[in-house]
Formats: sequence, C-alpha cells, structure tokens
Amino acid sequence: MRWQRAFTWWGGYPAAVAVVAVATVLLLVARPFLQPAHVMLLYVPAIIGVARLSGVRASLIAAAAAFLALDLLFVRPYYTLSVALPADLLTLAVFLLVAAVAAMQAGRMGERERSSLRRQAELESLNGLSSRLVASESAVRIAETVVAEIVRLLGIQRAALYGIDGMQAKELAHAGTGGEGESEPVFADWVASHAKAIAPLAYAKGREEHFPASVDVTEPLSGASADGLYLPLQTGDGLEGVLYVRPGATTLGVDEVDALLAVSDLGAAFLERRRLSEEASRADATRESDRLKSTLISSVSHELKTPLAAATARVTGLVEVGDTRLDDHVREELVAVTEDLSRLDVSIRDLLDVSRLESDAWRPKSEDWPVGEVMGGVSARLTAEGRRRVRFAIPDGLPQVHADFAQLGRAVSNLVDNALGYSPDPSPVTVGAEARGPEVRVWVEDRGPGVPDEEKQAVFGKFVRGSASSASPGGTGLGLAITREIARSLGGRVWVEDAQPHGARFVLSLPSGGRS
Amino acid sequence: MNESSGAPERAPVVLVVDDEAQIRRALRSVLTAGHFEVVLAESGAQGLERAVDRTPDLVILDLSMPDMSGLDVARELLSWYTGPILVLSVRDADTDKIAALDLGADDYLTKPFSAGELLARVRALMRRSSGVKVAAREVVAGDLVVDLARRRVTVAGESVRLTRIEFDILATLAHDLDRVVTSRMLLERVWGPEYVADTQALRVHVSHLRRKIEPPGGVPYHILTEPGVGFRLVAH
Repeated sequence: MRWQRAFTWWGGYPAAVAVVAVATVLLLVARPFLQPAHVMLLYVPAIIGVARLSGVRASLIAAAAAFLALDLLFVRPYYTLSVALPADLLTLAVFLLVAAVAAMQAGRMGERERSSLRRQAELESLNGLSSRLVASESAVRIAETVVAEIVRLLGIQRAALYGIDGMQAKELAHAGTGGEGESEPVFADWVASHAKAIAPLAYAKGREEHFPASVDVTEPLSGASADGLYLPLQTGDGLEGVLYVRPGATTLGVDEVDALLAVSDLGAAFLERRRLSEEASRADATRESDRLKSTLISSVSHELKTPLAAATARVTGLVEVGDTRLDDHVREELVAVTEDLSRLDVSIRDLLDVSRLESDAWRPKSEDWPVGEVMGGVSARLTAEGRRRVRFAIPDGLPQVHADFAQLGRAVSNLVDNALGYSPDPSPVTVGAEARGPEVRVWVEDRGPGVPDEEKQAVFGKFVRGSASSASPGGTGLGLAITREIARSLGGRVWVEDAQPHGARFVLSLPSGGRS
Repeated sequence: MNESSGAPERAPVVLVVDDEAQIRRALRSVLTAGHFEVVLAESGAQGLERAVDRTPDLVILDLSMPDMSGLDVARELLSWYTGPILVLSVRDADTDKIAALDLGADDYLTKPFSAGELLARVRALMRRSSGVKVAAREVVAGDLVVDLARRRVTVAGESVRLTRIEFDILATLAHDLDRVVTSRMLLERVWGPEYVADTQALRVHVSHLRRKIEPPGGVPYHILTEPGVGFRLVAH
C-alpha cells in the first residue's frame, strides 16, 4: 500500500489539491453538458476520498479548492468570483456546507480506521516480537531483537539497548544507521543509576550536575529538539536495562511513543526472565559444588575413622574389659597406644574441620545464645587438668551472642586448650566475656609467657607452634587456625593481646544478638 | 575367644549391623569378651533378616551404610522390635543421629569409642529393658539429687522449689541420665505430643530451671545444651 503514502506526505495537502485538480480537468471536459449543481455533486466523492485517505484537514483544503474551482470555472460568469444567478449563489453555499460536513465525517472515520489498523499492526508486531524473544537464549540476543524491531517499527535513526552491570550501563546491542552519540554512554549511566527517563535537550560537557530533569515520556517527543530518548527498562523487580532511541528526521508522536513503550516493556520482561533463570542456575551450581565438597569430606572422614574406631575398640577392649590378664608392661604399652589413638582422632577431626571450614562445607547455623550456655559445653569437655585450672567469669546481663553453638564452643575450646598448653600448670586460665558496641567479646587469658609481638599474627596460621613454649602442647597445631576460620565463618574476628602482668589474652569478637 | 565362651545360662544376644568388616570384628571381640552372644549383619537388609531370626536383646546399628540408610533400618525395625537400639555415628553433628533418637533409638555412640564405654552403654540399655520395672526412685548427679517418687529436688542438700513443668523436664532428663534427650522427646513427655514444635517455650523453661539448680555465673554444670538436638543431664 505504498501509494497511500502519497496521501500522508506533507500532511496530505498536496495530494488533496492534486485530487481536486484532476477532478476539475475531467469536469471541464464535460462542462458543456453539466449544470453547476451536477458539478457540485460530482466533487463530493473526491472530497470524501481525500478525507478518508489524508484526514480532515486535507479534505477541508480539498473542499475549499473545489469551491473555488466551482465558482471560477462552472458558475457563470466564468473566471471571476462573481455570481450572476441568485440560484447559483444558493448552490455554492449548499456545496460549501455539504463538502465541509462530508469532509469532517469521512475524515473522522478514516482516522479511526487508520488508528485501528495501526493498533492491529502494533499488536501483531508485539506478538511476533515476543515469539522471537522467547527463542532468544541470551541477554544480547534479546537486546538485538528488541532494537531491530524498534528501528523497523518506527523507522528511526538509531536504537541501542544497554544492560546494567553494577550501576553501570553496558551496551548489549544497537540497530539503525546512526553511530553512537558522544554523550550516549553518560546518559545511559545516568538513567541506569536514577531509573528515570530523560529526553535531553542539550548536553553540555563539564556540567554534569545540570542534567535535564526527567520528562513524561508519554508526551510526543519532538525529534528536532532532542538528541534522543532514554528509557529505563523497569520491572517490578528493578531495572533491567536502558533503551536509547534517536529519532533522527522521524517525528515521534503519541502512537509511536506508545508503541516504543510497549516494545520496551516486553524487552524488560524478557531480560528479567533471562536474569532470573541465570541466577537460579548459578545457585544450583553453587549448591551442587557444596554438596560435592561435603560428600568428599564425609567420605574421607568415614575412611579415616573406620580403622581408627576398630583399633580403638580392640585396644581399649584389651585394657578395659575385665577378665583378660595382662602383664603390667603390656598393659602400660597398650594404655600408651590408646592415648596415641585418641591423639590421632583429634588430628583427624582437626584436619577435617579445617577443610570443612576453608571450603565453606561447614555452614554455621547461627542463633542467639547466652554466652554462658555455650560455655557449659566448653566446660564439660575439659580434662581433669582443665577442670582444675580453668575458671569462667561471664558477667550477668550480657547481650546474647549470635553464633553457631557448636562452632563457637569449638573455637573457645581451642583457645582454652592453647592457653592450658602454653602456660605452666597450675597457673589459672580465665574465660570471660564482655559487650563492646554491637559485639560480644569472649576472651581467654593465661599466665604464661605471652605471645611476642612479631608472632601475634602468625600464631593463627596452620601447624604453627609458639617459640616461647616451655611446655610441650599436645595439639595438632591447627587449633588456632580453626578458631580463626570459625571467627570468619561467624562474621567476627580473633586476635591476641598481652595480658597484665604477663600472659596472653586471646579475644574472639562476634556479633551480638538480642538481650537475654 | 569364641562365641561359646560365657556364662552357662543363655547369654544376651547383641545384633551388630555395620557394613565395615573391621568394625564388626572389633565389636565382636569386645562384646564376646563382655559375655554377650554376637550376631553380625553386614547390610541393613541382612540386619532386618537376622533380627527376625534371632530376636536380639539389643541392636547396635551403624547409621551410614551403602544399601539402605541406618535410619530406614531403624524405622523398619522399630515397627515391631521393642528392644533397645544403640546407634553408631561418625560425627557429633549428625542429623541422622537426631532423627534416629526421635524415631525411638535409645542411645548413640560417636566413633571412635572405647570398649569400656560401649559395654557400659550396652549394659545400661539392657538393664533398662530387662523387665526389672523398679525405676530409680532417686537420681544423683553430683550435688544435684532428684527424688522422682516424692517430686523433690535438692542442690548441695538445699531444697529447691520447681514448677510442675520444670520438675517434669528435670525428671525426664534424669530418667535418661547422661544421655541426650531430644527437644522433641522432652516436649512430647512434658507437654504432650501436640506441642512437639514449640522448642522456644522449652528453651525458656530450661533457662528458668537452670537459674534454680545451676551454680551462679551462668555456665551450666548440670544441664548441657546439645545444639540442634536437645539437652543432657550430666552424671558427674
């Protein structure tokens, strides 16, 4: 229907005049056989035709032209505006009225028809667009489809779609003949961080604070005054991208902006769907790798612990189960083996715990706990020597600590074992706690030689043993490393300071929960 | 050591269900030395069969087995078997262990354990289920004495006044002295089966109970929290 374009070119006025001119030429040929009233009737269909194809205003022009032609060429005296017969004056007046009414009616009908055709085309194009978007596998493919459709639909110079990377806009795709504007990435960034549409009138370099205010983008946008239109692609969930369109010579009217908004909404919905499904599959992958890690660690744990459990049961069976007679030497040896086996158990447990913590396979289940309640478990695990030397000083009215019960207990037990090992028996080891701002600090203090400044960091490394050790601590060298990993896993910190008058004070600082 | 050695009267039968041959052999030698008759099963399915054949006096069940989970074995076994079940697990924080206790398993041991510990648990469970129905009238845990018959509690000789719920909690824990009682079991026994989800209320009552019987300083000595599982009254 390319010929119809002629009727909308320059508002359809040239076409209107041309139609009247052609009709006039044909009627002039037949003038000898026609009365002015006939001529008048024959003009009406031409005016209605113009009205349908070009709109009301063009058809009013056509009506005026036809009126002039009628008066000049068909009403005597010819070639002058004056009229000889009073009846002809009436004819002319009636013609003017009929032509105007017909033009208005037909014009309105035509406009309604054109607009419904346009809506239908728009719907069809959205429909086609969404089926193409469904098939798009990546954000870039979705962006390419959207900008191509916009350029095809509106016949504009350039359309570009930007994705959001953090707070930055990043071009995913563009279409049309125009290149990237100088200020385009800057505006796109602005829209990405403000989530407001803009139609910049001008952009002065170095005057970033004078960004144009957001505009109501459903108003027609004059292509001449604006460099382009930036639309945030928004969904209920947030910003999915920024769409840029530069109309060039094309004027965007209400209908075009409506179509643009419809396409950009559709694009936003598909970009969101794409992002959500990517996030879901990433979460699946993380879960799977976590599952593999903990499966591996628990199978290693099973492999190591099974022979250990069998050996422990057998050896302790010989020592502890009454009726086997053993000579004293063998018994002593077996008791030593039992002790070695239990040290091996501690080593295996420490190694597995450090790998579970480092690989995040031991996720904390944090809750609010009174510090004292957790210390109950620490106290119950103490050896006879520990029970003699360790005392607890947990003040009343302390906020609860927000932590995983088992992890916190383990971390403090390690600090206590460390303190017992590095300070001479029978010097006391004190476990205390205090509130400090939003944190609860649990500390373990001994009366040993303390930790020299240059080792205050290094003591938390793996397999590190303090140089100042006079005693020979029986641990694996992993205790403090495990405590540090637990502090990290619980969102806290651990460090060592000097105690007064001498000794070491290990402080474990953790987020506090509610008041107990 | 062979299985015929032992007392002239019928030795109690212990069924050991574990997929690891090393553990089965070790348990057989320890239990035989402790005068039990031992029946071994190397899989969950075989364990269920042997249980039907021999009607053991006690079952020792490993929770991690390849063919069916120890939990499934426990569930199936408990549908008809009324004797005690001792569960073995590798880790302290084992959710299967908690589930097994909630299902009705009687106690658990974490590997590795000593022979003496194993025999003590086995004998305690057997005593409880041997039909001697005279439950202890009084449970002593260090300086804490719980008189179950008179519903009286003393700490270091001083009488302590408890509410009905506090006493019921303490009595339930005392009944399973030194063993973990799951929150679910406590709630079921103290409040009734329809309240098993209200662990928050349980925590509140336990904290009141602790204020009355624990030493000052806020560090529990008698009632320990077993995170994610429940509570344990320590024997001392």
